[in-house]
Amino acid sequence: MTGNGSVTPDGPIITVESLSKTFANGVKALDQVSIDVARSEVLVVVGPSGSGKSTFLRCLNGLETADSGTVVVDGIPLDDNPQNRLEIRKEVGMVFQQFNLFPHMTVGANIDLAQMRVRKSAPREARGVTIELLRKVGLEDRVESYPSRLSGGQQQRVAIARALALRPKVMLFDEATSALDPEMIGEVLDVMRDLAAEGMTMVVVTHEMGFAREVGDRAVFIDEGRFVEVAPAAELFDSPREERTIAFLSKVL
Amino acid sequence: MILAAIRRWTGRTMLTGRTERVGRTGRTEKARRRYKPIAADIVVDIVAFAGLVTALALLLAHNTAALGYRWQWHRVPRYLLTFGDEGFQAGPLLIGVGVTLRIVAVSLLLSLTIALATALLRLSSSAVGQWIAGVYLECIRNTPLLVQLFFIYFVIAPLVGWDGWTSAVISLSLFEGAYASEIIRGGIVSLPYGQWEACYSLGLGRRDALRFVILPQAVRRILPPLVGQGISLVKDSALVSTIAIYDLTMRGQVIVAQTFLAFEIWFVVAGLYLVMTVSLSAFVGLLRRRLAVNYDR
Repeated sequence: MTGNGSVTPDGPIITVESLSKTFANGVKALDQVSIDVARSEVLVVVGPSGSGKSTFLRCLNGLETADSGTVVVDGIPLDDNPQNRLEIRKEVGMVFQQFNLFPHMTVGANIDLAQMRVRKSAPREARGVTIELLRKVGLEDRVESYPSRLSGGQQQRVAIARALALRPKVMLFDEATSALDPEMIGEVLDVMRDLAAEGMTMVVVTHEMGFAREVGDRAVFIDEGRFVEVAPAAELFDSPREERTIAFLSKVL
Repeated sequence: MILAAIRRWTGRTMLTGRTERVGRTGRTEKARRRYKPIAADIVVDIVAFAGLVTALALLLAHNTAALGYRWQWHRVPRYLLTFGDEGFQAGPLLIGVGVTLRIVAVSLLLSLTIALATALLRLSSSAVGQWIAGVYLECIRNTPLLVQLFFIYFVIAPLVGWDGWTSAVISLSLFEGAYASEIIRGGIVSLPYGQWEACYSLGLGRRDALRFVILPQAVRRILPPLVGQGISLVKDSALVSTIAIYDLTMRGQVIVAQTFLAFEIWFVVAGLYLVMTVSLSAFVGLLRRRLAVNYDR
């Protein structure tokens, strides 16, 4: 059964209930985590490497399948039904650490593809949206360039534009700036900041603590697959309560 | 035009020869020239090769003289080409080349189809599909082609009513298809998994991901070893002479039996195979340059 739109518009857009995931090698990546994400909320996820941040994010659009627990996005349960999974993927855009642009396609074609294949847009219509999205990330003059001709920061901005191509309601950022040279991080964070200001619901896994504190509405500190502390971002960064959060923040700040 | 379509599919950039490397860190690295032949190396290679050939020729001449073999090269051309009232006419050897080429062409297409299907089955999530593909691969790769050919021609063909030609094409296609499928599978799995994930995160299905993202990138990795497999196909096709197909090898055998021109005819037959395989590589080389995929990072 496909979920319907009868969800109240001010209810949470993402509901995660006791999600658990253990990898084949026995590593417990997620251990009974639950959280609701409100519409237009920016949730930042921080924690040491290997703590399960990425796994959590990837469970939200079905790139990773949890062992138990439920994920509901905009009223649609993420389950074995491929139709539901597709609907959720249309509503959830994802930006990867390594950009994952399609290197054999121009920037424009990268952004056109899902519009034409998933939304069945006509090429011209798709291109119109593409140009608009590229303008938003400040790269409208690079439509015909190949990704390899762009800097890392530019590539990641294209990847953001591509993830926005299906007009998603939620955006997931998986360490979007971790592969970038320091001087290029700013331009990507600026685009993310703009998105947040526009009211996009975002779940952001990041190592940029300053950005997380500034843009995040709420923050989660995750360690060994558990949500150790969930609090308003300013609170979590300025006056963390849990010992492990304090220890982690003192190391990275 | 097919070429243009493939080029669009695999995403050709305008430039050739060099790729500008822009790493994921965004640093522009030094432009790097690909396919750079070093003149000195080539000269050394050619000299060495010429030396080897000369030595072999001398040895051969010496031994054939000792054997008392009477070379009759003047009798050879009529088996290649004759000039009569109706203009030029292909001799048996050239007709044999035609038969070989036809078998190779059909087998090539069929084996590529089989190979792609097998590779996709092996990569599919269906256990039955994987099992079928696995059994096919192991059976083909672990038995001799000659036995497969006989098996199909003497066992299967009478049951289903195939003629020799069909048996030959099917045997060759099944055989080369098994190897080619591993090449294709290798090309696909060598791509970063992030490419699949990007597709999935965009709502694209497996089929669209393959068609628009994975295969167009895999093709450039697959093509060089696949050409090698194509060359094997040309050479392996000689085995069909054993089931009475009048291909190049069979024609050679017949002529030798009639004329005893063993040395000359086998030289010519080998030369003709060489021409076919070298042309095939040259053609694909040309194709690759025309497709020149230099979007590489």
